Amino acid sequence: MTARRLFPSQEIGSLAKPRWQLLGQRSEPLDDAAKAELRSEDERTGFASALPAVRNALLDGRTRDADPESVRDLGALFGLRFLEAAGLDRVYDGEARRIEMYEYPIRQMRGFRFQGHVRSFDNKYYLKAAVTDEIRLERPYHLEEFDFVRRHATAEPKLPITGPYTLADWSYNEHYLARQPGWKGRAARRAAQREFVVDLARRAIRPTIQALIEHGCRVIQIDEPAAGTHPDEAALVVEGFNAATEGFDAEFTMHICYSNYRDLLPELLEAKRCRQWAWEFANRDSEAHDGYAVLEALKEYGDTRDVGLGVVDVHRDRVETPELVASRIARASRYLGDPGRIWVNPDCGLRTRSLAVSRAKLEAVVRGAALARAEFENPRR
Amino acid sequence: MIVRTGLTGPFPRPEPLVRATRDLDRGRTTPEAVAELLARGEEEVAALERRLGFDSVSGGYLGWPDLFRPFAETWEGFTVGPLTRWLETNTFYRQPILLSPPSRAPGAVAARLPGPVRADPTSGRVILPGPYTFVSALDNRSGETDEALVHRLGRLLADEVRELRGAGFATFFFVDPFLAVRPPEGPRAEAVVAGYRAIHGSLAGANAVVWTYGADAVPAFPLLDRLPVSAVGVDLADTEVERLPPSPQRTGLGLGVVDPRTTLGEDPAEVARVVRTANERRHPTIVWLGPGGPLDLLPWEPATRKVHVLSAVREALGGGGRP
Repeated sequence: MTARRLFPSQEIGSLAKPRWQLLGQRSEPLDDAAKAELRSEDERTGFASALPAVRNALLDGRTRDADPESVRDLGALFGLRFLEAAGLDRVYDGEARRIEMYEYPIRQMRGFRFQGHVRSFDNKYYLKAAVTDEIRLERPYHLEEFDFVRRHATAEPKLPITGPYTLADWSYNEHYLARQPGWKGRAARRAAQREFVVDLARRAIRPTIQALIEHGCRVIQIDEPAAGTHPDEAALVVEGFNAATEGFDAEFTMHICYSNYRDLLPELLEAKRCRQWAWEFANRDSEAHDGYAVLEALKEYGDTRDVGLGVVDVHRDRVETPELVASRIARASRYLGDPGRIWVNPDCGLRTRSLAVSRAKLEAVVRGAALARAEFENPRR
Repeated sequence: MIVRTGLTGPFPRPEPLVRATRDLDRGRTTPEAVAELLARGEEEVAALERRLGFDSVSGGYLGWPDLFRPFAETWEGFTVGPLTRWLETNTFYRQPILLSPPSRAPGAVAARLPGPVRADPTSGRVILPGPYTFVSALDNRSGETDEALVHRLGRLLADEVRELRGAGFATFFFVDPFLAVRPPEGPRAEAVVAGYRAIHGSLAGANAVVWTYGADAVPAFPLLDRLPVSAVGVDLADTEVERLPPSPQRTGLGLGVVDPRTTLGEDPAEVARVVRTANERRHPTIVWLGPGGPLDLLPWEPATRKVHVLSAVREALGGGGRP
């Protein structure tokens, strides 16, 4: 086994879908801007060379000759090469085939009924389902997309999958709550939610992970962005994680963002098979506030797992300099007391940023890691 | 038992309005078309409220992006800040940033009230942020202490109430969940009392109900019982009715009896039993029944089913129609 270099880099979530993919999936003709985008990105990374017939059909205005699945294949290749070209050590496909991280997995299961749109903020909504019956997985998901990535990736693939706690927290709980006797107060809600999370983990996420491992998946990121919503449920986040991953031979990481991590400790540390905490930090880091100081908590608790360090903010267009990224890595190294445990990545998925901004931010991640590496390996006197 | 029913916060947008607002963001429709659908949606909610015999009409506050935006966008001293999680939910508000001591913009908030509320003030329900929650939710860079700010916002809201009272409005709901989520103590608690005293001074006989949710309200009752308001509302999904303390004086009681965090329907008979228990513990003058928290945590259809439960509970309690 070769030693890992310092500060390897990784993707963490989805990319914005290019316009040509969105139009092509709907069998709509590409406008000039979409054609120009497809051409320029292909010139940049050569991603379409593996599927020239699809590319040509889109560019020649024969969109109907490119079936939606082929367009998604092209989109996945685009995402993969986009991340590889930025220089990342661990990559995926930018989640090019997924609707988003909630609706897609829920649609692979029975026992849920979509209820309608709920406003998240302003004019942004998400389709929310209720669990109304026993959960049954129709079939393990993400397999075809993983197979595709594995066939085409030159860097190491890492598959992201939404965790059981988040899927439960973003759903309405009818089935399990109805089974609770008496008034449906806080105690009943908690008991029902525990059953829901554990069932999701055992009946849906676990068999999917098992199938992914059988397909050769070695690194799996369990996404739990809802983990911080109810800080007093940290033990339930862990119970779901453990139920989904126990006994499997793969490298698991847990992604959490926009949460007060201290509130989740020490319960979170009981996630037995988690090898890496991939958390958002850059969003909370400013001249007035050290966003990485919370890492001291891991040291206080004696936790020695790897940390996927969010070093660029995914909610602002301003691109961080490599020097800023390097300084963040250096600070985090001091807090952890061990630079060898740090991976670097964006805070979260970059899908709300333009592709140009995403590219610049990913390049800042890679260059910043290189600067930090050079500094650690050849420290200035 | 005198029972009143109504909404205590925003109602979800109807699906056609959801589609229109999304289309607007994607440049596929016009602001005028969205405004028309918004007005239609507010009328639809108001018609539902009337049909169900609610004592006052809110129109669902479908146009308010969040509880604070009408203030953060119009009052002096504020700017609109980053997306911030709203309590323990998967919804977010834009955090108001207060850069200097605030001042009102007369008429600005009134102009943003839903159409059905403006059209008939006497039956309209005005829903405003409570001063403590307002301060708890904002980023205070004004130089004033939070205590002073709670009192100041109480006075500004009192001015708002005075203006609206002059226009004929008679029912005011102050959404103040942080009173239960993070009960204030010491000087901060005194500032809350002072803020609501200021509001009380502007009511001129109108109803003012403080609505809490998001946590067990029992620890906050020593303070809640001191507020000079018509009633204080608690969310029975978080507060055990058997633990409600006896009331030191004859006043109203608000009960959040349908839970917007689940689509599971409540049983009106079971809810009525719980309301009777609360009545025996507090002997309120009036019971105000409503959703425990904002119904826009649900989509339109489930939320509509929930408000029908309110009406059924009132019937089960013998509360009849509109008082």
